[in-house]
Amino acid sequence: MSTQSQTAAKRSSPGALARRPETGALIGFVVVFAFFAALGGPVFMGAPGWSSWLNIAAEVGIIALPVGLLMISGEFDISVGSIVPASSMMTAMLAGHYDLPALAAICGGLAVGLAVGFVNGLLVTRTTIPSLIVTIGVMFAVMGLTLGFAVLIKGSTSVSYVPTPMAKALLGQFINNMFNVAILWWLGFAAVFFCVLHISPIGNWIFAIGGDRESARNAGIPTSRVTIGLFMASGFCAAFVGVVQVMTYQQAQVAGGQSFIFNSIMCVVIGGVLLTGGSGSILGILLGTMTFAVVNQGVFFAALDPNVGSIIVGALLLAAVLSNDTFRTLALSAAAKKT
Amino acid sequence: MISNLLRRPAAASVLSLTGVLAFYVIIGGVDLGKLMSAASWLNYAARIGIVALPVGLLMISGEIDISIGAMIPAGAMTTAIVSGHYELPMIFGILGALGVGVIVGTINGVLAVRTNVPTLIITLATLVGMQGVVLAGSKLLTGSASVPLTAPDWAKSIFGQLVFGGSHQVVIVWWIIFAVTFWFVLHQSRYGNWIFAMGGDKESARNAGIPVNRMTVLLFVLTATSASFVGMCHAILFNSAQVSGGMNDIFNIIASVVVGGVLLSGGFGSVPGIFVGALTFAIVNKGIDFTAIDRNWSNLIIGVMLLAAGAMNESFRRVALGVATGKRSKPKQDAPARAIGGQEAH
Amino acid sequence: MKLTKTIAAAATAAVMGTGAFAQDIAVIAGSVEDAFMDKIKKGVDDATHMVEANGGSVQYLRTQNYENFGPDLVTLINQAVAQGVDGIAIPIWVPDAQIPALNAAREQGIVIMQYNSGLPVKDDISAINYFGSDEYAAGFGGGKYLAENGATHILCHIQVPGAINLTERCRGVTDGAAEAGAKVTVLETPPNLDGDVTGTAEALKAEFIGDQSIDAMVSCADFGAAAGANAVEQTGLDIMVSAFDFSPATLDRIKAGNQTMAIDQQPYLQGFLATSMLFAHLKFGTEISTDPVLTGPAIVDASNVDAVVAGAALGAR
Repeated sequence: MSTQSQTAAKRSSPGALARRPETGALIGFVVVFAFFAALGGPVFMGAPGWSSWLNIAAEVGIIALPVGLLMISGEFDISVGSIVPASSMMTAMLAGHYDLPALAAICGGLAVGLAVGFVNGLLVTRTTIPSLIVTIGVMFAVMGLTLGFAVLIKGSTSVSYVPTPMAKALLGQFINNMFNVAILWWLGFAAVFFCVLHISPIGNWIFAIGGDRESARNAGIPTSRVTIGLFMASGFCAAFVGVVQVMTYQQAQVAGGQSFIFNSIMCVVIGGVLLTGGSGSILGILLGTMTFAVVNQGVFFAALDPNVGSIIVGALLLAAVLSNDTFRTLALSAAAKKT
Repeated sequence: MISNLLRRPAAASVLSLTGVLAFYVIIGGVDLGKLMSAASWLNYAARIGIVALPVGLLMISGEIDISIGAMIPAGAMTTAIVSGHYELPMIFGILGALGVGVIVGTINGVLAVRTNVPTLIITLATLVGMQGVVLAGSKLLTGSASVPLTAPDWAKSIFGQLVFGGSHQVVIVWWIIFAVTFWFVLHQSRYGNWIFAMGGDKESARNAGIPVNRMTVLLFVLTATSASFVGMCHAILFNSAQVSGGMNDIFNIIASVVVGGVLLSGGFGSVPGIFVGALTFAIVNKGIDFTAIDRNWSNLIIGVMLLAAGAMNESFRRVALGVATGKRSKPKQDAPARAIGGQEAH
Repeated sequence: MKLTKTIAAAATAAVMGTGAFAQDIAVIAGSVEDAFMDKIKKGVDDATHMVEANGGSVQYLRTQNYENFGPDLVTLINQAVAQGVDGIAIPIWVPDAQIPALNAAREQGIVIMQYNSGLPVKDDISAINYFGSDEYAAGFGGGKYLAENGATHILCHIQVPGAINLTERCRGVTDGAAEAGAKVTVLETPPNLDGDVTGTAEALKAEFIGDQSIDAMVSCADFGAAAGANAVEQTGLDIMVSAFDFSPATLDRIKAGNQTMAIDQQPYLQGFLATSMLFAHLKFGTEISTDPVLTGPAIVDASNVDAVVAGAALGAR
């Protein structure tokens, strides 16, 4: 299929399964799942176990998808950690405090993400400041604005909101009482991003920008517009998770989004995206997210010390990057031999 | 003459400091005398400053280390577990904390030079791993996530004392000693030239006979060890250690290094700049309580300041390089994309 | 527009704030991101009117977050001392770090008033009084309430491993439940789950499924109740959800029947009384013969939730 060969062909001799970016991710997932299935027993293998890690995977996964695309194009977005609480605060504030209709509140929350993403993209493309620094700066600023306005308007850093049945059903419901509807959204987002990255011409542009921005620009690719679009996508997805959290837990707090920053990057890296840009796949990111979630949730079912989860994630991360690195060396040397 | 000033990497940090002080005085109505005599922000500046110095050097050489976030609590917990829980002599606790720093730094460094993986990701892995090790370890060994420690007098007076009449911590003195040492290393010794050369272009640095790998490992050992040093000082000063995520420290330290005029893409920066950067960051973060501005807005100020400093660094570097070489009209986009300490894709 | 007006007000207020430099009292509290502390602030603000009417002033100091908490608190204590205050009102969360700093402050003639937390170490800092709950007693009351309402196996959730006051709460729950014949299991979730409702909900769900004898839970954090209610919804098990402290969303849940109760320590009273009584002591030489003054536990459940909602709308509950 053309999708993988695009990635593979860029840097390697075509075809070889071992060199596909998601192979390592798949192996990692199978090993980790088998490990926790053995320890966690039938409960982990049943619906409760699956729903547990899928619910976690859905939230971080929605953010990991655009973050992964950004990383393929060679950029970082740290500000997602502040957009999640900012958008949930905006949604809860508009609907719970100003009594606007749910739809308006949801749009308001999502608009926060788009706006912050636009600012990120503009700063990254119009200045020479690295995106890591830009998005750290924007993260601090958005954190400050969220906290400042929450206290100013509401006098509290926690706002409650009881969603309408419609909003709850679409964004905060548990299917079969266990599976968060966010899982479906996650798969929906994955499908959209799959089309963008692997089917539409934009995908080629993203890979090209990640490979070499200067030549991409010279080849006529609208690099700035693509970059701004990607930052807006990651802002939007982070805001979406914020909205989902309000609808699910019926409250918004100014803190609590920071864990998404590194968690989303870790999912992407475990999923085989090369940090140097130019390579990666949606399937890999999905697998990486699932691996991450299985580890984080599996420890509770396996009756291990929950902190052991961090150690396993760290080890996985190292394994993932090292195997990526090996794959890439393999791929590069193979490519070099051919020419 | 202005361009002469702007050419110095410390320019952005001095301007940031001036800007923040002006903002606090004019808008915040701060009493400068009271602010200057207070210890709170200076203690905090020392805490992040000691780590910011080697992190800055590492960034000048083109790499980054975020595992420092886990190393501060790791240093504190190691000291408290060894000398508090197991009641071994203090010296073992101190050596243990520094030893943990050396080990983690070596792991980071070796992985950085042996693989092509960007150091942001390598140190992200050690960050998460160390968070787990510290937590699980302290639960396993002490059964608790908070360990008390009673340090002997000599250790207190060296690492954990309050000086200058009671509220300034002795770590400030350490910070100054570190700063002078690092200033000497970076600006007076050949190692400094090596570090700048590595940040400029690793391949040519290697071809010029610079031991790039050894220097990289050494710098990673310095960052991790200085972080565990800070943790150790805090455990001794505050008689206890708690586990914590340390996420905020990561961003605070990187922010203060950037405000200090260091370019994330490497090759540009100075020790006086990093020093002033930590000072500025601390004044924003802790000095805000001395102003009429609500503390809730402090993160907004930090964010804006960070973006401004980042922009200043980029333009000053262009000025500096332009003046220095008489040419250089750098195309806008080539530096940032690969700035994250990663090697170029070949 | 209400919104635009507020934004305009925000801009002015952000810049102007409530500046005053002749501090007489400093009130030190926890993270600016913690909604619980906003209720304490409401009490402090209301007391500030009385203080200012009598020529004093109040400086309200908070940490940015709970990482590096001990050193941050000591920093704030030293800062208050540097600003030349006459009295400090402060909770004791990290005794090992705070006690030496507070004793140094007291040696400079600063009067210490303790509130909210750390009752067992009150004598170590020679605080003039204590306004707060006794963590153990609060836990005891909560554990007893749950057991008397039919719980046989209670899960006590600690969101910050090692925090002494939280450990004390669960110890109280254990003893209170034991008195009424129920047993307690303590669950400490890793610190990276602090504030993470989804992660905590799934962790609780795993515990509920893993040990089906659990029929009640009490979390030391308000967000833990949101997570617990969600975990119960997911598992469909019949588990009573409860927590220490509450937020507006808690009240919604109690009304809707998704949460059994919340153990309230009435932070408004803590902030109000600690501030006003410290000032009254300094200015008028008053003493309160009751020592310590316990502001909790008060149980909020379906029977009294409506009265609490009214107070919550005003930011005091």
